[in-house]
Formats: sequence, structure tokens, C-alpha cells
Amino acid sequence: MRQPLLFLVNINKYFGDVHVLRDVSFTIEQGEFLTLLGPSGCGKTTLLRCIAGLEHVHSGDILLNGSSIKGIAPNKRNVNTVFQNYALFPHLNVYDNIAYGPRVKKLMKEAELKDRVSKVLDLVQMLGYEKRMPHQLSGGQRQRIAIARALINEPSILLLDEPLGALDLKLRKHMQTELAQLQRKTGTTFVYVTHDQEEALNMSDRIVVMDQGQVQQLGSPREIYNNPSNLFVTTFIGDRNMIRVKVLDVGEASTRVQFGEDVVEVRNSKRHHMVAGEEALLAIHMDKMRVSCGEVPNALRGEVLSVHYAGSQIRIQIQVADKVITAVEYQKTDCDCEAGDSVYVVWEEHGAILLPLEDSGVEGEV
Amino acid sequence: MQTLKRNILAVPILVWIGLLVGIPLIFVFVLSFLSRDSLGTIVFQFTLQNYQRVFSPIYLRVFLNSLLLAFLTGLVTMIVGYPVAYITANLSTKKRALSIGLIMLPFWISSLLRTYGWMILLGNSGIVNNVFLGLGLIDRPLSMMYKFGTTLIGTAYMLIPFMIVAIFNSVDKLDRSLLEASYDLGANKRQTFFNITLPLTIPGVAGGFTLVFIPALGMFYVSDLLGGGNTIFLGNLINTQVTRGRNRPLAAAFSVAMILVVLVVISVYSRVAKDDREGLFL
Repeated sequence: MRQPLLFLVNINKYFGDVHVLRDVSFTIEQGEFLTLLGPSGCGKTTLLRCIAGLEHVHSGDILLNGSSIKGIAPNKRNVNTVFQNYALFPHLNVYDNIAYGPRVKKLMKEAELKDRVSKVLDLVQMLGYEKRMPHQLSGGQRQRIAIARALINEPSILLLDEPLGALDLKLRKHMQTELAQLQRKTGTTFVYVTHDQEEALNMSDRIVVMDQGQVQQLGSPREIYNNPSNLFVTTFIGDRNMIRVKVLDVGEASTRVQFGEDVVEVRNSKRHHMVAGEEALLAIHMDKMRVSCGEVPNALRGEVLSVHYAGSQIRIQIQVADKVITAVEYQKTDCDCEAGDSVYVVWEEHGAILLPLEDSGVEGEV
Repeated sequence: MQTLKRNILAVPILVWIGLLVGIPLIFVFVLSFLSRDSLGTIVFQFTLQNYQRVFSPIYLRVFLNSLLLAFLTGLVTMIVGYPVAYITANLSTKKRALSIGLIMLPFWISSLLRTYGWMILLGNSGIVNNVFLGLGLIDRPLSMMYKFGTTLIGTAYMLIPFMIVAIFNSVDKLDRSLLEASYDLGANKRQTFFNITLPLTIPGVAGGFTLVFIPALGMFYVSDLLGGGNTIFLGNLINTQVTRGRNRPLAAAFSVAMILVVLVVISVYSRVAKDDREGLFL
């Protein structure tokens, strides 16, 4: 069990009349990789800036190591930020950029500083680049220098504001692995902001899903992916088919629901309790679905509309009753179907979840 | 074909520059090698005499006076203008427009009139002296007019908007996240200003300095009115040679010499601002 490091207590924040953070409360644990995930405008970056001290909070409190840092200026907080555009000082070379923090705080002699700079440069695999100017570096290299510049201060928490956003896809994937390794190697607590769920699911120990200034769910990537707490998280994480079904009866471990003429069993979730006779939403991850040519139990019957080959994956669109369902398969196995074929659609147990019909705009979406 | 098309598109601007800048410059350049008769009429006879006079020791003093005035004008406008520009750039959008408007407002009034305004302020029976006398701070009027310093006040006042706008632009362009990064890394406001803001706005200061230095070198009415002609500057000299001296070839030679000085200043500027992609002259 990790020690709690930073407490966010009922944080509220306004920009003019806009309520950008609403009663945000959670705890960040020592040494974890925590990701704030949400669509743009959900308040995740603002929350990060509140922790950094670059924005002030209107109400609530932030406790670091047990004491409030709410009124403390950013230069007096033991947290450092890796900015979205890296914000490397363009007139200083790599060495002077990294040495900036210790120098302004007058922490050490130049000889000691040199060792420290070398150490963090080694950590981000950029030794030998000391004399380069920021404009002579590639995006990925700038990124590493920005991280080194923050890490040399040995912050209690390293805040990263969408640091991979400006990189191309290949480099982004590579940096994801590297960031996660770096976090484990240094043991520093990382708080990482992104709108990219794949990034979040890949790197994080825990994820905070945010929307409209509120925390929607906090949990491990697996928990968030398989057991979304509400409709927002369900639609935001992963690509799912959302099907409106009728609840027939609710059992110990599973619930029987009806869609069109088919009746299927869906595992019960810890959070949501269905009531027999009412309508509910069946949400199934597209990539957890399988298309079968022969009859199988617990399946929906449908007709193939189209088959798309998109690189490593195959997307199959199937008409089931009045609804078009998309299944994503990574290799074609038992059933080589074409448009017009009758098929059976099944899914892995954990890929499906039943949600109550919430009143907020569900009609339009489903 | 492509380059030809592009060249044709450039023709109007080349004609424009040629007519308004090139031809007069060539005219001045040719004139500087010609002679004149005793009545001041140009005689088409090649001579280097004008340049011999330009580089004679008597006029060296005039060059030094002008360079000193232009340099000090640049320095004064920089010291006074930087805080104004810095504060303006950090105002809210509305207040900033107001501030810029107020800075530019004097341009709506003839600069000659504004120079007379300074005479009213600084004269022996001017407003400043009257106020000081009235308050009993001084016994007899301070003699503030017709000095080198008076000319300096005049030129600095005339040209400071250029300095302010140039610095304002570079402060305004400054990436805010760099300042945030500096605070984030532990620097206080003073350290952030001297380590980040100031070095990154040097190109703006250099641009402002160039914009102030060049006109200050050639201004003549300010030193005529406020300086009383006690110190002779290049501008006065050229003006006098054209009007009272009736020696346009000599005036042309001085003008060419001044253009050379200006070119030196610009080349220094472009070296200072070489990293700044939005330079004044590029």
C-alpha cells in the first residue's frame, strides 16, 4: 500500500462565470503514475496548474505532505511541471536550461551542479547534448530536456501537461514506454494530463477520468476499462456499441436482457443494479466482440453489412434488429463472412456492461 | 516559368522603390561629386573636394556631436521606454489599447508645435521656472534652454514612441509559458525578469534603438529651436549648407556620409537581432 502524498480537498475554480473545477477531491499517492484523463475543456490542465500553483483555487485546499500549499507561490512549491510546448528557454543551451532551477535557488556549487546535470541527462539519455540550443533539438529531444530540467529539482511531484501531444505517432508510442520506465526508475510521483485514453491506459497506475470539471471515476486502467462508473466513462473509454435493451430478470451473477428477438445474459456490475421490466443500456467494447458463422449460445443474430480491412484489424458492421453494431477483430478465425451473410455476434464476458438508462441525453445517443 | 511569373509580380514594387528611393539616392550620390559656382548653381564638373571637406577635422566634431546625441537619445528612450512598454504589454486588452493610444497621440500634432511646447515649458520665464519660483524652490530662473541636454530632451521626447512600440512588441510576443516555467523552477519575479524576460526582449530593444538612433542623427529643427544652434549637429549642417550656404554638393556629401553611418548601425542591429525572425528590416 502506497502512502498518500497530496490531498485535493473540494477544489473549486472559476474562470469568470465558468465553473471549471467542481468539488474535485482525491488523493495522489507517493510514487504512483496518476493520469488525469478527459476531453478538452474538462478542467484537467487547470487542475494540474492549480497543483503547480500557476492558478489559484477559489475554494477547497491542497495538502502536500500534510500541510496546505494553497497560498504558496509556484516558485516555493516542491513540484515541477513539464509544459505542453516544453517551454525550454530559447536563449539558453541545454546545460543552462537544466541548471536553471538549482541556480536560481542557489542550491549548490557549479562543480556539484555539473555532476547533477550529467546525472539527469544520463537519465533521459541525452548526455553529450549540453552545448546544443533548444532550436537545434528535435521534438522528442526537447521533451527529454524538459523532463530533465524538472527532475533535477527532485520534486515531490512531477506534473506533465500533455507532453507527448506534439510528437508523431511512432515517437509518441516510444516515449510512452520511456516515460513509464523513467517513472519507475526515479520513483518520482508523476501526475500526467492527457486526452488520449490509449496513453492513459498504457502508462498509468491509476486514472482519474474527468468531465465538465468533475471527477467521473478514479481507478486502475483495468477497472476504468472494464467497469466504467457511469455513462460518460462508458462512452469515453474505448469504442463501444451501445444497445438499448429490456431487462428480463436479474440473477446473482448475471442479468438476462432482451434485444429484438434475442435474449442474452450479461454479467452484473458492482455499481449498477438493474430492475426487471425496465429498460437498460448494454455497452459492449467493439474489440471484445467475435463474429461467428455457426450458431453459438448467448449471441445476437444479425446480417453482415460490410467488412473493412484497416491494417491489423478488421471492422465488421452487422445489422442486428434495428441497430448497426460494429465488431473489431484482429484476425479472422472461424468465420470468413461477407456482406449479406447471416452471423452470430458474441463477446468476452468482461467486454460488456449494463447501465441504467440515465436521463441525460441518452435517447439521442443510442 | 515560375520564377519569371514571380519576377513580373515584383515589378510594381521595384518601380515604386526605384522612383521614390533609388532615384533620389542616386541623385544625392551624383550631386556629392559635383561642383558649384559662387552663386550656388551646380556645375557639372567631377570633384572629390566635397568629401575632402567632409572628412576634415573641423567637421569631425559635428559627426561626434551627432553620434553622441543619437546614442544618448537611444539610451534615454530605452531607459524610460522599457518600463512603459513592459507595463503596457502586461495590461488587460482594454487598458493596453488605451495606453498605446496615449503613447501615439502626440503624433497627431505637428512635431514643430510640440517643440515649441517644450520651449514654453523650459524657457527662463517658462512654466517649470514659474512653478519652481512660485514654490520658493529657487531664487532666480534656472537656465534650461539652449543646451545640449535640452536638445537631448527634445529628440528623446520626439522619438520615444518608436522605442516603446518596438519593446512592447517583443514583450508582447514573449511566450508566457517561459515565465511560468521560470517560476515553476523556483525563480522569483526579479530573477525571472533578469534571466528570461530581459534577454529575450533584447532584439526589441535593439530594434527600438535603431529606430530612434537613425532619425536622431539627422534631426535639425529640434536642435535649432531647443539647442539654439549652440551645438552643431549633422542635420543642422546639411540644412545650413543647402539653405544659407548654397552648397548643395557639400550637403549631398554629408548626406552620403550620414547614410554610411546609418548602414553601419543597421548592420550592427541585424547582428544583434539575427535570431529574431521578425526583424525590423527583414
